[in-house]
Amino acid sequence: MQVNVINSADPVQVSLAGRVDTTNAAQFQNSLDFIIKGNQKDVQIDCAGLDYTSSQGLRVFLMLQKAVQSRGGKMVLTNMQTQVKEVFDITGFSNIIRII
Amino acid sequence: MSDVEKYGLDLHCTMMLEEYQQVQPALERLCRWAHEKIRSSVRDAGLMITACESRVKTEASLAGKLELKGGKYAFLSDITDLVGVRVITLYSVDVDKIAAIVENLFTVDWANSVDKRKSHSLDSFGYNSLHFICKVPPEVYQDPECPQINDYSFEVQMRTTLQHMWAAIYHDTGYKSDVEVPQEYLRNLNRLAGMLELADDEFSRIRTGINDYRRKVQSLVASGHFDDVPLDGDTFRSYLSLHPFDRLNHSIAVVNQAEIHEISLMPYLEVLRYIGCRTLGDVERIRKDEGDDAYRMAVHQIGGTDIDILVSSIGLQSLCSVTLIKQGGGQKELEKMYELLSGPSDYNAHRASRVLQQAVLLGIKTN
Repeated sequence: MQVNVINSADPVQVSLAGRVDTTNAAQFQNSLDFIIKGNQKDVQIDCAGLDYTSSQGLRVFLMLQKAVQSRGGKMVLTNMQTQVKEVFDITGFSNIIRII
Repeated sequence: MSDVEKYGLDLHCTMMLEEYQQVQPALERLCRWAHEKIRSSVRDAGLMITACESRVKTEASLAGKLELKGGKYAFLSDITDLVGVRVITLYSVDVDKIAAIVENLFTVDWANSVDKRKSHSLDSFGYNSLHFICKVPPEVYQDPECPQINDYSFEVQMRTTLQHMWAAIYHDTGYKSDVEVPQEYLRNLNRLAGMLELADDEFSRIRTGINDYRRKVQSLVASGHFDDVPLDGDTFRSYLSLHPFDRLNHSIAVVNQAEIHEISLMPYLEVLRYIGCRTLGDVERIRKDEGDDAYRMAVHQIGGTDIDILVSSIGLQSLCSVTLIKQGGGQKELEKMYELLSGPSDYNAHRASRVLQQAVLLGIKTN
């Protein structure tokens, strides 16, 4: 999977491509670790290239959202493909993560 | 010429002003300590206040006071408002609760304390506030670097927000100034004081009524009399405290050995109203009557996946979808429901369509 970050933007721009599954969820989290531990407030994640996310991926999204919310920020996911959005829906994650 | 001689006071008052300059750091320390002690005690008691403010009387203000009535004081420590703390409450009943806290914290000089609320005659209205003159008892607090902290009195003013507003406006009209305010304006200000007193009482009465209602509702919810309880924010929160959807959630989660991430289900209040629930009894009937189909639908959705994390709205989300479909709701109604939950999105149409297809597959149809 690929994670591209434009850290200088406000909100921070992240774009994802490929699949997040058990084999690369740790790498996914590491790629976003500097946002989780940093001081950026708002994050926008472009999911247009994201083909699939496993539960591990959902946990990383949750962790990231908790981190930015604790700093008073917001996380938004955009351009999500239908099959990925379905995962967010059937798990209830679309109730807690803003998807536009 | 010393710097206090500029005020042109007599020798006695000038000496008191010089003493003030010497003890001013101690007064600042007393002010900070008393303020923090009162503020933290009020917070610990769970009382809501709009402000807690404090100040040490300025040199210029003290000079003005001494000029007017300096002969009344033998010593600087006879002046009881060199340090002042003011607590402003939302409700009039809370003024007495704050007073009880202050009584417990400090030694109150009752002879010099005054309850302005009781000083009015039956047919007069005006400044309403409770003023306690206090000292810090040595057994409560001592500061070896600043022993005077126990010697000086300080004033604690307690009043409501409305009383405070009135006092601030009254002060602004210049009651302390040399220019006499015409009787007509004073009369109007006092009329307002009477009106605000009524408003304060009414606010307290409303709060008491709401608290009584909440207690009654909580009692009805706890005893399971759900049909008697209208569905609103308070009652739904009480209902959720019984964890009514945990069993359904766990039965769904166990299929995939999934963990459940707890979230607030309060956003579903609007959805439940949308699907026709007016009382907690209506919600409870949905939970009992549609639980099996909600379980089947949720399991149908996650059963073929390796998902092992779910959000605690999973059961209620499925219950609402199933109920709406059984009520005859179609594409548009489901879209609207998802819009209430997640906001407007083109995807809501796809989601509604997919859920309707699943309902057909599972034989879930209009009653």
